[in-house]
Amino acid sequence: MSSSNHRPDGARPEFLVTHLAARLRNYVLWDSLLIFSPPVLAAVFVAISCYRAAWISPLAFLLVAVGLIGVGVLAVILRYRPLVPSVPAAAQLIDGQAESEDRFLTLATLATPTHPANFVARLRQESSRFAERIQFGRDFPYRFKNSFYRSLAISLAAALLFHFLIPVAESVIRPVSVQQQLRLIAAKMAQQRSLKPLAQELQALAAKLDDPKATPEEKQATAEEIEKKIEEQKKKEEQEENRDLLSQAANSLKGTEQQQSSSGDQQKKDQNKGGGGIQSNLPQEGKGEGKQSDGGGSNSKGEQSAQMSNDTKQGKSAQGSPKEKGDEKNQHAQGDAKGEQRDPNQPGKEQTNEKVGKNQGASKEGAGKNQSPEEPPQGAPPAERFYKAGEGKEGIKGAGYVTVQLPEDVVADTKAEGRATKEGKAGTRARPQLPVSNAPLPAHLPNSPTEKQQMPIEYRGIIR
Amino acid sequence: MEPEQFQQTFKRIEAEVQKVIVGNQEVIRKVLIAFFSGGHVLLEGVPGLGKTLLVKSLSRALGMSFKRIQFTPDLMPSDIVGTEVLTDADGRREFQFKRGPIFAHVVLADEINRATPKTQSAVLEAMEEKQVTVFGESHILESPFIVLATQNPIELEGTYPLPEAQLDRFFFKLLLVPPAPDELREVLKRTTGVETGNAAKVLPEDGGQLVNEMKQLVRQVLIAPPIEDYVVRLVHATQGDGQNSGVSNATKQYIRFGSSPRGAQAMILGAKGNALADGRVHVSYEDIEKIIYPALRHRIILNFQAEAESVSTDHVIAEVMKQVKRN
Repeated sequence: MSSSNHRPDGARPEFLVTHLAARLRNYVLWDSLLIFSPPVLAAVFVAISCYRAAWISPLAFLLVAVGLIGVGVLAVILRYRPLVPSVPAAAQLIDGQAESEDRFLTLATLATPTHPANFVARLRQESSRFAERIQFGRDFPYRFKNSFYRSLAISLAAALLFHFLIPVAESVIRPVSVQQQLRLIAAKMAQQRSLKPLAQELQALAAKLDDPKATPEEKQATAEEIEKKIEEQKKKEEQEENRDLLSQAANSLKGTEQQQSSSGDQQKKDQNKGGGGIQSNLPQEGKGEGKQSDGGGSNSKGEQSAQMSNDTKQGKSAQGSPKEKGDEKNQHAQGDAKGEQRDPNQPGKEQTNEKVGKNQGASKEGAGKNQSPEEPPQGAPPAERFYKAGEGKEGIKGAGYVTVQLPEDVVADTKAEGRATKEGKAGTRARPQLPVSNAPLPAHLPNSPTEKQQMPIEYRGIIR
Repeated sequence: MEPEQFQQTFKRIEAEVQKVIVGNQEVIRKVLIAFFSGGHVLLEGVPGLGKTLLVKSLSRALGMSFKRIQFTPDLMPSDIVGTEVLTDADGRREFQFKRGPIFAHVVLADEINRATPKTQSAVLEAMEEKQVTVFGESHILESPFIVLATQNPIELEGTYPLPEAQLDRFFFKLLLVPPAPDELREVLKRTTGVETGNAAKVLPEDGGQLVNEMKQLVRQVLIAPPIEDYVVRLVHATQGDGQNSGVSNATKQYIRFGSSPRGAQAMILGAKGNALADGRVHVSYEDIEKIIYPALRHRIILNFQAEAESVSTDHVIAEVMKQVKRN
């Protein structure tokens, strides 16, 4: 790519042509190299980044790098070979530049022994005069091609994009564990003399976290202890940089505590399996949260679930209070009656009819006592005119329910009480036979305002 | 002979002819190129453009013998080449060959398309072989020898268009164009005044020898292989059935027959003559592009479609040159 003005003065014009041809060959080679180097370098940079991020092994990196360079060399050769300028092409360029009417072309391509010597000599003489007009540096300078600029820009953009996307990709592909975070912070802290003891303790904690023999309680206790020390050190520390490091360490330790507590909860849950819980048909937001909810232990989500179960219980008691004497009994009676009506050929038909008549009369009375004239009749599906927007015969779209699974002893008691209630006509308080609550819940957010909650139609009267 | 001497002689002859003929300078130049290349020329133009005068002036400038044959439908071959006549000398009666008008250095075959094909073909042997055969005996024509035939593009009734084989034997086909107003003014000045210009003799007494040397010099002119290849590709491209000739089907659709190898020979030799006339000892691409029209225009035979669409051979050649690239 040299741009010297060198011209072999006094040399034969044929040499001028061959010299230019060689020069043009170099230009083409440089063009090819410049076009393909940026993408190859960008690809190698990507490979190095992958290697640094430990995504690929050293051997894979070596192979990829060698492969990329090989592909680059192949591309350069494939582009270079067809573009190599021939001697006639170079001669024509000189002819065009010197306006020598194909003298250089003729001289460069003639097989001189077969032609008259005097003509060739004259042609050479004429060409030499025209050769004086040629200066390589001026007439045939090397210029960067647009393709090089395009290649450079695209490769640079790709490399930068990859460079900035690596941290994101790394966190997505392989999130850093708490232990690693602790070790990294400990390594940074170890460089400060004042923080060295804490760094050692963090290293020890990281080792303990990796130790499968250590119990979660031990790990949590150690983490809490170190956290206290860090807080104390933070108060003492004057340097802002050190304080930042300590804050980072504290944050990581909080993460450690959360991890340990959740693992502890998981253990507890495993121990208490079959002892009850809440099953919800609501979509769970995340794996960790779901686990916490299942455990129903120390975290806030568990508390919320517990609260919801309390609400559900309250809903049950409310359900039972005003109507259980009339409505539910009537519903049971209706169910029985319907069951009897299915087979009219059975004996004792008259008795059954009488019984049905009584029950119907009783239910009408019961309903007449509690229902207002605007309310839909209880125990039967409401008329379509009572449906609100979004409601239908199949219920409310998006309504959520929770299923409460009670402990076995409570379930047994409930069953016993339910039987007693059924047997005794004047039962005090009806408890549902199934440990299932149909108390409404919002679709996604338990804490959403009440007015937004979707309520089944049969409870509309209760709320009014 | 040196190239400079050639150029000087060429330019002097050209200048002498231009003293008589106004305009059509390229035609004069190409007639001279054809002459020094050893070819024959077909001149085409409407009557009154100075075709006959051009040939006369050329012969006068060259200082060589000149014969004019007016081709008519009743012209016989023996009227051209000559015939055996019975002579009575010293009591002995014998046949003696009487030379026809073809035995001259410069022959003007005026309105060659008015003679019958039989008579036209009589000229073929003379043009190609530089000899004639009468009653089984061959007679060599003097060198240099050039036939300058003329034909009229109009008044085609009662004419016998030259067959392709005969056309191919002409080195160049040159078209004479009517003079521009300035040229016509000059023509009037020269021809209607008291003094009329005449071409002076340029060549010496042994002009024939000199012309032959000049003809030899033309053949020594250097030509680069890429330029030769360019000529080959051009000629190949005119051949309608030539595959990968680099010419589109839009051009090929007008061509019935492409140029023969004589076309390529004419291009190379003509380009060499042109280069020497310019004082160069090598052929350039420009020489080829100047010579291609007169060398190929009568060798490319167009089909009916071209005739229906008024497409000329010059148009086809121009398209071929556009599509065939230099090396």
